[in-house]
Amino acid sequence: MTYRFWASRRLAEFHSTSWSLRGRYLSRKCLHLLNLGCAIHLTAEYIGRPSFMSGPSMLPTFAHEGEVVIENRLSYRLFPERLSRGDLVVLQSPIEPGHIICKRIIGMPGDIVCVDPTGVWAPSTEHVKIPKGHVWISGDNAAYSRDSREYGPVSMSLIQGTLFARIWPLHRATIFRNPMTFLD
Amino acid sequence: MRTWHSLFGALSRFRIPPWLYWSPTAVLLATSFYVPMQISGRSMQPTLNPDSSAWRDVGIFDRFRVGLSHDFHRDDIVALRSPENRDRMLVKRIVGVEGDLVRTLPPYPDSVVRVPPGHVWIEGDEPFYSDDSNRFGPIPAALIDAKLVGILWPPNRFGRLTPDVSLAKNGAAYRHAMTLLQKERSRKARVNSIHIQG
Repeated sequence: MTYRFWASRRLAEFHSTSWSLRGRYLSRKCLHLLNLGCAIHLTAEYIGRPSFMSGPSMLPTFAHEGEVVIENRLSYRLFPERLSRGDLVVLQSPIEPGHIICKRIIGMPGDIVCVDPTGVWAPSTEHVKIPKGHVWISGDNAAYSRDSREYGPVSMSLIQGTLFARIWPLHRATIFRNPMTFLD
Repeated sequence: MRTWHSLFGALSRFRIPPWLYWSPTAVLLATSFYVPMQISGRSMQPTLNPDSSAWRDVGIFDRFRVGLSHDFHRDDIVALRSPENRDRMLVKRIVGVEGDLVRTLPPYPDSVVRVPPGHVWIEGDEPFYSDDSNRFGPIPAALIDAKLVGILWPPNRFGRLTPDVSLAKNGAAYRHAMTLLQKERSRKARVNSIHIQG
């Protein structure tokens, strides 16, 4: 039994029934669609989702536009202590509520970081100790990024997840690994 | 061939129970509109959990409007994720919104602070017991999760957030209402919400 045959039979069944039955059938279908939508929303919220990247702040890691990445929301939810320096994180912007930004973690709670080594936002000798439950974030393209240099350490409660992989464009598809190297 | 058949047979015999199938809708409906939450701690006394009450208050919180349009204002009581600990929820009152000049209370290093863009200044009604902006500074508005719309439990304070002074008959209720009024006045006196452009 092919799909076309099956579909035409369903259609014939639908056309041969009364209006009230059709209405019931359609409303039931709508409920199922709504349920599917809720399931997709919950998956995107708690497990992971594809999302579009835009903006120059993460060049050269991400292009200015047209890239699709997969966010991993589950592992930060389950193991927040596994977050480390060098990870790419997706977080809610502390200065623009409702905006989602992507940055790289530079410092963890308790670290002492130099606010801005180039001396643009603050004297290059100024250092800050990151308070409990906060991280220091920075864009890879320092010249075009609004990050912790401007607004200071950000709360870890704003972090929504980490970046898992890039899936589009296909020739740049990668799984992101932590690029940190330690100098002894 | 036979193994495939038996596999399909097993799969077709497995049916998702209806409660599991409809659970995404149920979970989303139950968590994204009005949510009851129990309030613990003394930081919002005497508005919430007053000493005269034998139970811990259960409040009903609106998550939908806050999540969708960031609809909150000065003097709203909100539930927010603690900026220092992701797993902890706080219930506090919004004292100042972005651009306001707020006179701070002792643990904060500066005596006056201008609330930066996208941030709010939150305080408990009982500053002595409260972990609030006076300790960790202005917080990003994105941390606000829900807005308190009413009290669900205990039944004698059902619904109301601020008692009406004119309706207070006996001494205790009158004193309670006057304390709230006084607190509100002193809180408002510490916020300068006139924004001068330029």
